[in-house]
Amino acid sequence: MKQLSIMVDLDRCIGCKTCIVACRNHHGLIDHEYDMPGEIPYYLRVESKSEGKFPEIKEDSWVVMCQHCKKTPCAKGCEEGAITKDVQTGIVLFDREKCTGCGECVEKCPYKVIQFNEKENYAHKCNLCYDRVTHGLDPVCVETCLTNALTFGEKEILLMQADAAGKQVIKKLSAQSIVYVKTP
Amino acid sequence: MSGDGWIPTVCYQCKAECAILARVEGGVVKEVKGNPRARGKACVKGMAGITSLYSNERLKYPMKRVGERGSGEFERITWDEAMDIMETKLTELRDRGEAHKFTYSMFPHSVTDPKWRFVNACGGFISTGLPHCDSAKIMAHMHTFGCFPNHHIAPMYYAVPKGGLMILSGRHPFGCLDDACVPSHILDAKERGAKLIVIDPIFRAEAAKADWWIPIKPGGDAALFLGVSNYLLANDLYDKEFCDKWVQEGDMDGLKAHLKDMTPEAMSKICGVPAGDIIKLARMAAEAPSACIDAFKSIMYGNGMDWGHAWSIFLVITGNLDNPGGQPLPEIAPMAPVEPVPPAPDVTELGYHRTGPDRSQFDSYKFFLQPTWYAAQAIKDDTLKVFFASECNPALSEMGSGEWRKAVTMKDENGDYKLELLVVTEIMPSETMKWADLVLPDQTNFERWEMLYMPWWYNYGHCAALCQPVVEPIGESRHANRVFIDLGKRMFPEYFAFKDDVDYYDIELAGVGMSVKKLQENGGLWSPGTVGFRKYEDAGKFNTPSGKIELKWNMYKDIGREWPSPELPLEYRRGEDEFPFVLVNFRTIYLNNTGAWSQNNAQLRDPVSGLDANPCLLNPIDAERLGVKSGDVVTMESNSGQVKLPVELTEKIIPGCAGIIHGFGQTMGKVACRGSWVSDNELISDAGTTLDEQDLRGGEAHVTTRVRIYK
Repeated sequence: MKQLSIMVDLDRCIGCKTCIVACRNHHGLIDHEYDMPGEIPYYLRVESKSEGKFPEIKEDSWVVMCQHCKKTPCAKGCEEGAITKDVQTGIVLFDREKCTGCGECVEKCPYKVIQFNEKENYAHKCNLCYDRVTHGLDPVCVETCLTNALTFGEKEILLMQADAAGKQVIKKLSAQSIVYVKTP
Repeated sequence: MSGDGWIPTVCYQCKAECAILARVEGGVVKEVKGNPRARGKACVKGMAGITSLYSNERLKYPMKRVGERGSGEFERITWDEAMDIMETKLTELRDRGEAHKFTYSMFPHSVTDPKWRFVNACGGFISTGLPHCDSAKIMAHMHTFGCFPNHHIAPMYYAVPKGGLMILSGRHPFGCLDDACVPSHILDAKERGAKLIVIDPIFRAEAAKADWWIPIKPGGDAALFLGVSNYLLANDLYDKEFCDKWVQEGDMDGLKAHLKDMTPEAMSKICGVPAGDIIKLARMAAEAPSACIDAFKSIMYGNGMDWGHAWSIFLVITGNLDNPGGQPLPEIAPMAPVEPVPPAPDVTELGYHRTGPDRSQFDSYKFFLQPTWYAAQAIKDDTLKVFFASECNPALSEMGSGEWRKAVTMKDENGDYKLELLVVTEIMPSETMKWADLVLPDQTNFERWEMLYMPWWYNYGHCAALCQPVVEPIGESRHANRVFIDLGKRMFPEYFAFKDDVDYYDIELAGVGMSVKKLQENGGLWSPGTVGFRKYEDAGKFNTPSGKIELKWNMYKDIGREWPSPELPLEYRRGEDEFPFVLVNFRTIYLNNTGAWSQNNAQLRDPVSGLDANPCLLNPIDAERLGVKSGDVVTMESNSGQVKLPVELTEKIIPGCAGIIHGFGQTMGKVACRGSWVSDNELISDAGTTLDEQDLRGGEAHVTTRVRIYK
């Protein structure tokens, strides 16, 4: 199956959130003049997990965005057919024109990454920068990642690259089209 | 304006000033990214710079105070009126022979910053972030091997070889006070086999990536590295060939004698790092092809000069000067002077703004600028009468900020303020602005011309970058550089005979065959692209009086400071019973701690894209003893103030320490004043009151204090 993907390298993600702000700027998700903290939509979020007791501590950080699922629960929940998985790229796309704002997709998404615009009554989310990647550019988060923890490409190729670099896929973070890897 | 598209300019969300590209569409900045010509990265602060530019909180016109200082009541005035007020007061000060009682606190963007020129023409002092934060490091490196670093002269991580050691000591490079390409360079070096060692009482993003995290008692860095050096010398593991050739005669014997009893076991008792680990670190350093140390917070302790000295000694005896992976010795690009150059005031003759029971000993230190900033003391002593501040926020982000706020409202017997004029240039409301007599609306980096010429820049060591306006300025804002060029034209026309800021930068750039226009046409950057290694070999000498490395500081013989002491700062050694916890204040990537505009940035205070809480970090062992749990609100109290804040339990802090983020607690601005944020500087006393030991150790207790915690 054709699938564009982002590989998130936990060896390099420092949880800095640069990707979140870069994404917001690019997609015009923020009103710089008036928006207040806590009210700004986001297509990415950062998670982290610490383990161990002082002084033996380990911590990983990673970014979560739309996983562009193989089987799309959001699309299945959308009666209007506003959500499709693009056959050329594997990107899950939202059609704002068709969206009636029922909010079903927000409920169905297991990764809780779908945003909802109350004012204009529509759902929206990461489209893997469809307009950029179909013109040969990387998604904005990948381009601006502070530590180059993100890599963009065909999922199968990314998996080969991870394997060659001795990294393992962390399946529990995502079994979908975004790939999380780490040196064992 | 350059029109639409990706336009090169420079970030100013922190002092690192990364070269960036701004995407402009229809006269509006839409996006930001790193300029690839400068190994291009921009961090989260840089990305959020657009929010500062367009926030409806921007200061848009000059304002004059109408209420009492601290009331925050202002009325709109014209730029002409503002200029008249400044000119009248500065002229009066000069006419009464007190020009040196004018100080401008700023971060100069180069040694040729036009604001600095203005201060020199006035005969005033400059108090900068540069000597302010890490003067001890600068002086230590200058004294020992004649190099002029500051916190931007990080080791060149892109040059660290396989097996090299990258040692971060109280340093947070993933927080991007360095160039935003540094985090990726550190991780790249790790991937090619270099080792990352993080020495810090708190486990943060760097420790999470480190090969080895060494928790340490705050202030123990000097002891740790003196212990390492003892081991290296005692076991002949030092770089003998390098030392024989380059170290001043007699210094190695002197060093061995001084370090004789500073064994790993003895030093372990001071710094809390097990002796076995000190030995392990020493052996790793001896075996590695290179080792570098990057430190920032740890140089701001009351024993900063000792630590700087110990750090310098470690670099020298391991032969890690100006080699790939070691301590770079920066070069200075030959910028052209703008003639005639106003002379700088003689700081040695006029004295520092510093008090202490025995300041004569402190005055023995060879600082080249106002070494530190005790404004409150200077106001009380009548040695500070006019104070200007740009890009700094002393009412909040400097030690003893409570004292500062009190001092600026002190009045003399006539009922006049002892500090006669306080001017603040600012982009957004700041805490300091509340006390200002004049508030001048500044411009963001998207609206102003500026030539960044920074010999201490990370990327190539010496280079120039052009900050150019990419959009029209908001309101009547004017960049501080332009304001003080205009004021200079009024007051000192002989020194300000050039046309404007762009003309000024053109003259300077001619020194490297450049101009503003050429920089515009060439991606906004100039650099020879080289740093060079072991430049002392070409020169045949180091830039010290003897031409050799001077481990022993003979100039301080009279005050008994030729060699470093391993002792912790006095602030940690006393008051343990009354104040059992050591405060560890730290930085984050989400904030330029002194910059009010980044405190007021909605994206950086957003819970998803930034930080929205400033809890007290406590180890569960301590929390159990105190009977507190996560979320409990506690009082944290020092000998100079108290704050209330929620507790967060974490294994990521050394027991006995309490961690909080530096520089929050602003009450001005709709974003900054949200939530239960506190300022660490309420707890850190004004150093003017704790100079009894610092007079001797040449340090500055920016971060050192003990606290007690109770529910």
